[in-house]
Amino acid sequence: MLEAIARVTVWLALGEALMRLGLVPVPGPVTGLVLLYLDLVWHKTLPDDLGRLADRMLALFGLLFVPAGVGVVAHADVLQAEFLPIVAAVIGGTVVTLLATVATLVLAHSWARRRKRTDAGGLGEADLRA
Amino acid sequence: MPAAWERQIFVPDPHAWTSLPEQPILEVGITVLAFFAAVRLARWSGNNPFFNPTLIAIVLVVIAIDVTGTSYATYLHGAGFIQFLLAPTVVLLAVPLYRQTALIRASGALIAAALLVGLPTGVLSAVGIAWALGASKVTLLSLAPKSVTTGIAVGISEAIGGVPALTAVLVISTGIVGAIAGPVLQRWLRVEDDRVMGLAIGIAGHGIGTARALQISEVAGAFAGLGMSLNGVLTGVLLPLAMRGL
Repeated sequence: MLEAIARVTVWLALGEALMRLGLVPVPGPVTGLVLLYLDLVWHKTLPDDLGRLADRMLALFGLLFVPAGVGVVAHADVLQAEFLPIVAAVIGGTVVTLLATVATLVLAHSWARRRKRTDAGGLGEADLRA
Repeated sequence: MPAAWERQIFVPDPHAWTSLPEQPILEVGITVLAFFAAVRLARWSGNNPFFNPTLIAIVLVVIAIDVTGTSYATYLHGAGFIQFLLAPTVVLLAVPLYRQTALIRASGALIAAALLVGLPTGVLSAVGIAWALGASKVTLLSLAPKSVTTGIAVGISEAIGGVPALTAVLVISTGIVGAIAGPVLQRWLRVEDDRVMGLAIGIAGHGIGTARALQISEVAGAFAGLGMSLNGVLTGVLLPLAMRGL
């Protein structure tokens, strides 16, 4: 288990370092994710410990956002002053984004299937199965 | 008599420990207990999406610090220990991605289409709705990266002139809405492909959405993590550039 933790920590630290040195414009954890993924693809094996660590930690993913969410109390004044635009943007905007993404993928799928039936040279079924 | 530099290094600094909170157990304990109760409640509801554990835990902690008269700064000082775990956990999202590598490689067009639509819709729908309802410019800028995962969104907000701390709250709220609305829409629209639902929830609702998608299936969770990461990185690069162009 220690090896799994060390592996995650090394890629995370490298990601942080690359960001602080200004070599990568994204935060350390995202670079760390990419680096760990490439590491796994390179070695072509997933150690049991690393798999277990990921499953355990990701089961608690929702807990890790609680402290930032409690910050709502620190911004009560802004949220109260612009309550309607903020709530409408957060709820409406998120639902619109979900709907637009799902609708596009479902339509793209039926389009690909129709195209495949009439023209065998089109985009593969596997490319746009939705 | 040791040299000055030796004294600096070897003489124990009596204040060294005061930079750490003295009782993080209290803040960490309240947060963990609230989440434990929230997960129990969610299970009791049959994992009804409206019983979102993150949302319930936040409400419970807000009540607790309100009743005890604790300031948010004091709470965060201790609860920061939990927040610290967010970074390594995001790195661990590489594991479900790796397990689904074959499926991801076969889904390139699907992933590209999801981002092409989801990324601009996420930014423009939020800013557009708030602008139409008369929000201030600072609020609009703080809202722009709301669908992006917390760590990146806060950086974007800072770069384009928003309030990073406000953005963090808006990001969490967005994730909760995505985690609730995603499964509801899935049932309503009868979306059967877990890749589609995962991508949509990850792009619209980042990490909290991904936490929910992991409950749907590992495929949904992996594609949500992928959608979240790609959306975060691309928005992080493109949004500040677009703002500079305006």
